[in-house]
Amino acid sequence: MPPEAAGAPNLPAPGQRPLQTSPQRPLPRPPQRHRPRWAHALTQNLGLELAVAMLAASVAIYCGIYYAAQAMLPGGFELTTTVNNTMPLALAAVAQTLVVLTRGIDLSVGGVIDLTNAVAAIGLGDTPASMIGTSLLVLLVGAACGLLNGVLVAYGRLQPILVTLATLSIFQGLAIRVLPQPGGQVPEGYTAVLANPAGPTSLLYVVLAALFWWGLRRTRLGVGIYAVGNDEGAAEANGIDPRRTKVLTYMLGGTVSAAAGLFLAANATAGDATTGNGYTLTSIVAVVLGGVSLFGGRGSAVGAMLGAFVTTMIVNILFFAHIDPLYQAFYEGLFLVGAVLLAGGIGRLVRRA
Amino acid sequence: MSDGIAAPASARRAPLLTRERRRILYAFLAAVLLFVLGAAVRPGFASPGSVSAVLVVASFVGLVAAGQMFVILIGGIDLSVPWVLNAAAILLVTSSLGQDGHAAWALLLTLGMGAGVGALSGLGIALFNVPAVVMTLAMNGIMQGLTLGLSGGMTCGGCAAYAPPVVQAAAHATWLGIPAALWLWLLVAALVSAVLSLTGFGRRTYAIGTNARASYLAGINVAVTTVALYALSGLFSAVAGIMLVGFGGQAALGMGDPYLFQSIAAVVIGGVAILGGRGHYVGVVAGSISLVALVSVLMAMNMPEYGRSIIYGVIILVLLLLYGREAGEG
Repeated sequence: MPPEAAGAPNLPAPGQRPLQTSPQRPLPRPPQRHRPRWAHALTQNLGLELAVAMLAASVAIYCGIYYAAQAMLPGGFELTTTVNNTMPLALAAVAQTLVVLTRGIDLSVGGVIDLTNAVAAIGLGDTPASMIGTSLLVLLVGAACGLLNGVLVAYGRLQPILVTLATLSIFQGLAIRVLPQPGGQVPEGYTAVLANPAGPTSLLYVVLAALFWWGLRRTRLGVGIYAVGNDEGAAEANGIDPRRTKVLTYMLGGTVSAAAGLFLAANATAGDATTGNGYTLTSIVAVVLGGVSLFGGRGSAVGAMLGAFVTTMIVNILFFAHIDPLYQAFYEGLFLVGAVLLAGGIGRLVRRA
Repeated sequence: MSDGIAAPASARRAPLLTRERRRILYAFLAAVLLFVLGAAVRPGFASPGSVSAVLVVASFVGLVAAGQMFVILIGGIDLSVPWVLNAAAILLVTSSLGQDGHAAWALLLTLGMGAGVGALSGLGIALFNVPAVVMTLAMNGIMQGLTLGLSGGMTCGGCAAYAPPVVQAAAHATWLGIPAALWLWLLVAALVSAVLSLTGFGRRTYAIGTNARASYLAGINVAVTTVALYALSGLFSAVAGIMLVGFGGQAALGMGDPYLFQSIAAVVIGGVAILGGRGHYVGVVAGSISLVALVSVLMAMNMPEYGRSIIYGVIILVLLLLYGREAGEG
């Protein structure tokens, strides 16, 4: 019998103080490759780091191309429009992250954005009371949509992809019922708060969303989301109710999607019951670029928001590189495959090293 | 000896109505029920002409759903359907320029494009471990960009061309009073069912869908089978694109968009397990028919678009709750 195995019972279990049951001196620890703490942290957050690198690279390329075209660097105006245009996608990506972390997928994100965008466009009045009241109502609508998804997935024991495919159709129908034609009026004051065209104040919301995520991860629900995504059985054995966790996750996701609908309405200054459709697929792209694993349990919403900004930067780069906008989807598709292959390759290299 | 072995086997013989067969039966019952309902709402809905028209539309969904089913059987999904179909339709008209003389090689080129694009997706999924959702989503974008860019947003010279008359005539032909589209669908249904239940390829497909790791350890070349299945999905999208352009005469941008969700819904209504390993094309045929019949009934009732969309979603949910439950499936 190898000495390590013989000594194993005397070794402390993880998170336990060594038991002082026998007087014999402690055995040497089994041979184990040691990796410095920083290297461990680097490997653990690889997805997020790659998202940061991608964003940095895309911003650098954007600045270079912009400089070549305009003979100056992009300034406050470009930053403002980029942030305002990306906020709905960034929030949709947060909503998608929540569901994807529990090993699900939410195809109804676009439908919830459609519906909430339509409700916001007809409900928003000029008084602050109306703005706050309508915003709360919209968030409630989003939570209700999420509740429906969550209950069907958790208690109906249905596949998330099928449930949200069906509810997508329902939410889109409701959205067209609420707002048959594009229109409605979003008050200027509302736009100034959520999508201020005069300055990049909306960056504040990105920071707020990141702080929200930081806080969520430290709550019981946050821990539960990751636990359920990693191993539902193990999570349940450790006192986490997977069904309750999933319902709350989908509700939270629906609420965040509703916030995306509000930001979309504020930025467009009007409502449209169909503009949200595209967010279902782009939110998945942002989540993937942000290093969130589609197999659940790994990744962060901060990465997904960075992924959302990367997608916007790619559109900006293609625009300033004078690439025919008709080819836009082609380059985005190539970039998505390339990014995933690169991330997979780097991941394998790092784990081997 | 034969008695000794046969007796316990026959004692444990599976019931006639297994879970899978029950699902297929439900899907067919739903289709019949919808036709009866349609006839109640609008007299003549169940007339032979009207039924045949619904079935022809269902055949387009059914063709795409055949490909979708192949990849869902191994737990995958093909989100590239809309633009592979659209690219096929446009490639057919631009490469043939509406001339019968070019029809043969234009058809070959189009089918080859569909299978090739599908095989590329399959390579990414099988060899580089890209999740199927991501790979086919990206492929859809790539095909969309290429189609839009190369056709100049449908402003190119050949884009307004019609499908070759031969193809149009074939799409509109009837034989023994039954439209050619339905004969093609029948042929495809027979071929797909035969391939899945009688060949080694079919058995490998079900094996991978049940347990990919075990299949690999049992010596099945999982990568080759995966690539072949995605190639088949691309091929069927191309066939549907050819049929659609043959039927309508001209290609249009966005003509493939409805077929993504419809093909997935038809596969699921037809009782195919979304996680793979179980399902038959007979069920998918029933699923396609009931899906299209549902839309037709709602239109016969003069239901506005939003109402159709809501009811469509609700019915899929009800069907899922009836037999799409995860528990007890093992």
